[in-house]
Amino acid sequence: MTSVDRSPRAGVVAPARGSAPRTATGGAAPRGPRHGYDGWWPVLFVLPTMFGVVLFYLWPIVQTGYFSLTEWGAFGGQTWVGLENYQRLARDPDLGTAVVNTLVYTAIVLLGIPIAMFVASLLHRPGMRFTAFYRVLYFMPYVAMPTAVAMVWRLIFNGDFGILNQALGVVGIDGPSWTSTPGFALVAVSVVGLWTSLGFAIIILSAGLRTIPPELYEAASLDGASAWRQFRSVTVPLLTPSVFFVTVITVINGFQLFDLLYALMGQANPAMQQTQSLVYLFYNEAFLRNDKGFAAAIAMVILLIVGAVTLLQFRMQRRWVTYA
Amino acid sequence: MKHLLRSASLAGVAAVALTLSACGGGGDAAEDSAEVAPTDAQAEITYAIWDENQKPAIDQNIKDFNETYPNIKVTVDLTPFQQYFTKLQTQGESRTLPDVFWMNGPNVQLYAANDLLEPVTGLVDAGEIDPSKYPDALNQLYSFEDTQYGVPKDFDTVALWYNKALFEKAGVDLPTDDWTWDEFQDAAGAISDELSDQGVYGVVSEINGLGQSSYYNTILQAGGEVISEDGTTSGYDSPEAVEGLQLWADLIADGASPTVQQLSDTKPNVWFGSGKAAMLWSGNWSVAEMKDSPNKDDFGTVRLPAGPEQRATVIHGIGNVVAADSENKAAANAFLAYLGSEEAQRTQAEMGVANPAYTGTQQAFVDSVPSFGIDVFVDSAEDMAFPYPISQNTAAWNALETELLPHAFSGERPVEEVAQELADAMNEELAKE
Amino acid sequence: MPDATLTTTAPALAGRPTAPRRRTSRHGSNAWAHVVLAVGGVVMVFPFVWQLLTSLSTNAQVMSVPPVFWPGELQWGNYAEVFSKLPFLQEFWVSVSITVARTAGQLVLCSMAGYAFARMRFPLRGVLLALVLSILMVPSQVYLIPQYQIVNGLGWLNTVAGIAAPGIFSAFGTFLMMQFFKGVPDSLEEAARLDGANPFQVFWRVMLPLAGPSLGALTIITVLWSWNDLLWPLVVSTRAESMPLAAGIATFAGRTTTDYTVMMAASALAMAPILLLFVVMQRRVIDGLAHSGLK
Repeated sequence: MTSVDRSPRAGVVAPARGSAPRTATGGAAPRGPRHGYDGWWPVLFVLPTMFGVVLFYLWPIVQTGYFSLTEWGAFGGQTWVGLENYQRLARDPDLGTAVVNTLVYTAIVLLGIPIAMFVASLLHRPGMRFTAFYRVLYFMPYVAMPTAVAMVWRLIFNGDFGILNQALGVVGIDGPSWTSTPGFALVAVSVVGLWTSLGFAIIILSAGLRTIPPELYEAASLDGASAWRQFRSVTVPLLTPSVFFVTVITVINGFQLFDLLYALMGQANPAMQQTQSLVYLFYNEAFLRNDKGFAAAIAMVILLIVGAVTLLQFRMQRRWVTYA
Repeated sequence: MKHLLRSASLAGVAAVALTLSACGGGGDAAEDSAEVAPTDAQAEITYAIWDENQKPAIDQNIKDFNETYPNIKVTVDLTPFQQYFTKLQTQGESRTLPDVFWMNGPNVQLYAANDLLEPVTGLVDAGEIDPSKYPDALNQLYSFEDTQYGVPKDFDTVALWYNKALFEKAGVDLPTDDWTWDEFQDAAGAISDELSDQGVYGVVSEINGLGQSSYYNTILQAGGEVISEDGTTSGYDSPEAVEGLQLWADLIADGASPTVQQLSDTKPNVWFGSGKAAMLWSGNWSVAEMKDSPNKDDFGTVRLPAGPEQRATVIHGIGNVVAADSENKAAANAFLAYLGSEEAQRTQAEMGVANPAYTGTQQAFVDSVPSFGIDVFVDSAEDMAFPYPISQNTAAWNALETELLPHAFSGERPVEEVAQELADAMNEELAKE
Repeated sequence: MPDATLTTTAPALAGRPTAPRRRTSRHGSNAWAHVVLAVGGVVMVFPFVWQLLTSLSTNAQVMSVPPVFWPGELQWGNYAEVFSKLPFLQEFWVSVSITVARTAGQLVLCSMAGYAFARMRFPLRGVLLALVLSILMVPSQVYLIPQYQIVNGLGWLNTVAGIAAPGIFSAFGTFLMMQFFKGVPDSLEEAARLDGANPFQVFWRVMLPLAGPSLGALTIITVLWSWNDLLWPLVVSTRAESMPLAAGIATFAGRTTTDYTVMMAASALAMAPILLLFVVMQRRVIDGLAHSGLK
């Protein structure tokens, strides 16, 4: 896909802006970059980022990998135990629960993508006014401070006094204590997760919509295609790259579910054990039960799972993503 | 691998430490840790706390401290409770703990056992701190292996809060200090029966998450214990403990108390403060909130009802501790001694933020809301208080409590079965210590 | 900025402009669309309305059940109290500083790294890319203690540098920029190189000017994340004055009682600048993402 005017003007920009150095590396012959490695240049570009990534992120991951093979209490003192943590983890029923919960949460939040597509396409309709206003409205949850958001949603979901149950009561349904009952709690948390991330998806998909040339719609309607048909055959395929990006990010973020869970339910919640996510499992072991070696094993398992899922997504993109 | 990074960061810390000690007054590692800084000493120390509501009193304490020690600058590090111990652990790992900080019962042994806390024996011997001025149970709480590490700052006991108006409406006699379990249960049931159509319950408590204000007390009242005195075995599998737990399960089954889910959705103090429950089991920490309630004129307190075996309440309080690795120990000790003094503790009471530990200073706190009858809390501390149950890794089995006990209270599973399972799991954790 | 001279195209239809904004609608009114959007909008915004109402209530009203919606008497004093309870302006500047540092850092580093991953060839490129992306896949608390130890070792506790440092390096940002650069046609680069430019000059003179809108998108996302970042700044700062706003506001949560009204007021005040920023920038953000190679 391009984002550049194809006029020859752009191609002339480089030399036109001053020096056209015939440097030692540039040379006259078109021999360089296309036919092999780029010499030392990548080092310049990549090194700063790699330096920071290695120091602040990869090194801790390596350390975590090491710790997962030890038994590490609260302060210092690791003793090597080999794969014992992993064996313990394999036997732990909480792991399966956490995986399922995280998947369910992620799946529900992914439902936001079709919703976002719908909203984005509404905003994109020709002659639609106040689009900027709506966009701000839909983006607000993404901007908000999590503590404030959690507090309000807790009140909405409150089993005895929350407006959700009051509304349900009007139609005769006796609503549960949403955030304190297993099953319902997960739904409640997922709904809030969906609500929060909708704005992000709408923005990205809106941008994707703007890149679809209107001529394609014109051509399609000339061929007699209905609005729905146009949506299906023009909009959806050309939107797939944006959808792919949003999906990958949403899945990765979904697996990071923790703050929302903690804020909406609180640690002492009776439903927490059945509703915990993978990262919550990690936090619980690392900081609450002070079993940091075991927690490290959990972290490694999460890395494996998310890595595998992401890899799968990248492989599968060939099947359904059309880069124009 | 970790050691490389460790030594790198230790080198960094050492560099910083050298710089600090160059500017600090008498604060280098070679001196006797029991020494308190001279009044003209210059130092900068950090004091970590977790309760924003108490900050005004802390600020006042610091001001008063600076009258004697004008050149010791104390910076307050306020971290919300939810993140406090995560941060403290991070600091503990890196040996960058604050100089003086708040500690609580569940965590004190963990830090003491890992040599992160400075014993106060030196200060006691030097006469700066007098343990006899604080409730004995608190001194015990903050001691580990016969050494005391913390200076009690305040204490909470648990009492029975009640709403006169609701009792009158239901036609039930008001609670008294001599109540027993039976009378309590009957009253709760009667009120619920009478007022349930208005959405009012007989009693609420924080059974899902804070044993301190609920089942720890009933277990003790039945003659059981949560954990053995030496902290090595669980007390949950005894018939007495089961009896203590059964009380709550019965209350819920009767409809006298909201269900565990309802109590989790809406906190007990909110039920009670809004006039939706006639009784509340809670500590004096609720005073601050209840005095702002629109129903405050109807509130009163009495001692917890007597169980089959005895009267009991759990006592707990925050302790001030000094970090063993502090680079400004003399200054920190001076501040610690001040915080434990009568003057500092009285300030807490006068500003109504906490019930101080120092004997005789609680009057101002009691007087802060006369209608509540807060002296109940002080009296309970004297003759029916038991130390908060802890061990070296309290958090590990606290987590088990919140996981398992709700199933017993809700009636899903028999109390005895759950208690046994809890005891077994808890013993497993304790064995690891 | 070359924005004015650039237009979006699809490869099959080179040189055509974007969808023109037509004022007249084609198929009758968009009324029903407005209805749907408005209803959805209410759902989106409702919690904020409640937050504002809470910020104008008293604590007794907040802590009562059933919840009180309309406070009756508006407690504007809560907003004033924010400034007495928090060193608001100082924390505001801390928030601004760390956000600027992280955003500027990311803009530079991620565009460079993204470009290299997209357009350059070097050994282990695939491996390095996988490593970079992998850091998104562990629980973020994994990094807490190790990063703290590094920052502590550098003596950067309680400083803007300490809070901002790890956030300057971003896998997400690199990924975003990489996607953009992948979408730039090869011909441009080839032309530049034929003219003898070295890779840095190609980057500086050809690629970067085109990336303006993408960088705009990265900016708003990073700003948002940094503004609300809570746990790390809380752990690294031990003084209220060195904390950013998000951490400062969290300290309102007392042990047993929380001053919700003031907390909500502070949250509203803290959110306002960012919202404003978004309102102003949102056009650019959409355009940026449109051009960012995500299509």
